[in-house]
Amino acid sequence: MQFAELFLGILTAVGGFVDVSELVFVAQAGSKFGYALIWVIVLATIGIMVFGEMSGRVAAIAKQPVFNLMRHRLGLRLGLIVLAASLLSNTITCAAEIGGVALLLHLFTGLPVRLLALAVTLVFIGSIWLLPFKWIERSYGLLGLFMIVFGAALIAIQPPWAELAGGLVPQMPQVSPADRLVYAYFAVAILSAVMFPYETYFYSSGAIEDEWGAKDLPINRFTAIVGFALGSLLAISILAISAQTFGPRGISPEMIGTVALQPAVPFGSLGLFLAFLGMLFAISGAALETCLANAYSISQFFGWRWGRHRPPREAPRFTLAWLAVFLIALAIVLTGVEPVALAEYAVVTSMLVLPLTYLPLLLLAGDAKYMREHRNGPVAKALGWGFYALIVAAAIAALPLFLITSGGKA
Amino acid sequence: MKPGDRLNLAADVRDLQIVDRDGSYCGIVDDLELAGRPGGKLMVAAILVGPGAWRGRLPGWLYRPLTRLIGDRIARIAWKEVETIGSVVKLKRTAAALGLDRSERRAAAWLPGGSDDALV
Repeated sequence: MQFAELFLGILTAVGGFVDVSELVFVAQAGSKFGYALIWVIVLATIGIMVFGEMSGRVAAIAKQPVFNLMRHRLGLRLGLIVLAASLLSNTITCAAEIGGVALLLHLFTGLPVRLLALAVTLVFIGSIWLLPFKWIERSYGLLGLFMIVFGAALIAIQPPWAELAGGLVPQMPQVSPADRLVYAYFAVAILSAVMFPYETYFYSSGAIEDEWGAKDLPINRFTAIVGFALGSLLAISILAISAQTFGPRGISPEMIGTVALQPAVPFGSLGLFLAFLGMLFAISGAALETCLANAYSISQFFGWRWGRHRPPREAPRFTLAWLAVFLIALAIVLTGVEPVALAEYAVVTSMLVLPLTYLPLLLLAGDAKYMREHRNGPVAKALGWGFYALIVAAAIAALPLFLITSGGKA
Repeated sequence: MKPGDRLNLAADVRDLQIVDRDGSYCGIVDDLELAGRPGGKLMVAAILVGPGAWRGRLPGWLYRPLTRLIGDRIARIAWKEVETIGSVVKLKRTAAALGLDRSERRAAAWLPGGSDDALV
């Protein structure tokens, strides 16, 4: 039973790793720069493992959600700023996910994107309202595993493995100065898309609801490392197929539908269909997670009743919060902003607020008062602050790079 | 207890989660009300819950628009209602008995099929 739970947890983490921004940026990165950005995916994955593990550990030991402890630790003023920043970034991300699902369905049905956005939002609301949460989480996570077709496709097209492995080394490609800026922009965007803060908040809130304790720490570490590592293999596969098939033909996969075509190269229409299903459920899962992450943050900050295991009417303010987030995100999509543009805004805003959202977690996980003997040891401390320095640098660079390169198009 | 300890108590209790007798979350300690006279004993009189309690804690330019948006109600819970203080502040009675469930009830009325029954 324990093993089955662990297995399901890891699979859910794999399916939950991928979201629309990641698909968009990783596929374009491969087409523009070949394998040269693989190392950024690897680096960012280690980062999300470090912060994911910390958030699960804080939940298991301090037994209070991060946003709750954050306010106690940082005080009301700074706490409010962190709350506002993370709400802004998560809401834009949620809109990008809804737009991404709608666009994907549009390519397969031909129906108008806005109508589909409305329909998928209603389906999301209905599924949270009616189904037991564990069931939703696992079905979206497990169906997202159809994404594995991308890994199979990579093996099937037989890429030059040695060249691909060369992408694991941090590098600056020999291109024009303008293209170097675009390369840097993509590096920052991939870092942001892999390390979206909603993932850690969602994960730790789940750990509280499942009443984790000190005995769950090894499982927490294992799930964070293995789940995110397997997820990043999917991202690397998408980048590599893009480098192999799109780049040489001058195709820039700015539309997410183009990404779904990748497995069609070796597997034909079956590959396309599986990729479509995998992307549909992986992005839908991300939409639910970003929305619920916001509802958690608000409820925890104000001390409301919250929880996805409760029927909606037993935690009314929490329920109103997630309903409101879905409606605001839908409204953003209905304004007619391109879903791909939304994905870009999502990574840039998230990058800007990432230092604010990860700071409380880092402080709490290192605080003996809350964490006792389970506070960050030398390794977690070094990795945590090392990655913190990296995201601060990336946050400073994000906006100038976005503006100078016109969102990577220059 | 040294004077310093009392101040630490106030700093430690502020912004903690409040949990009622049944373990239900029912707000955050938004501020503490102190009572006493100069030269006399200073005591914690009550816990204040609700955005109205932020008046002294936030700058005016932030407090005014924020409370216009979310209201400025305050619930006052007498200090003697506190059972224990740890990683949460636990109360001796239920949220309903102490008037801390009003906002949840109001929110419940917005939900389809929402009636107060779900909360009792």
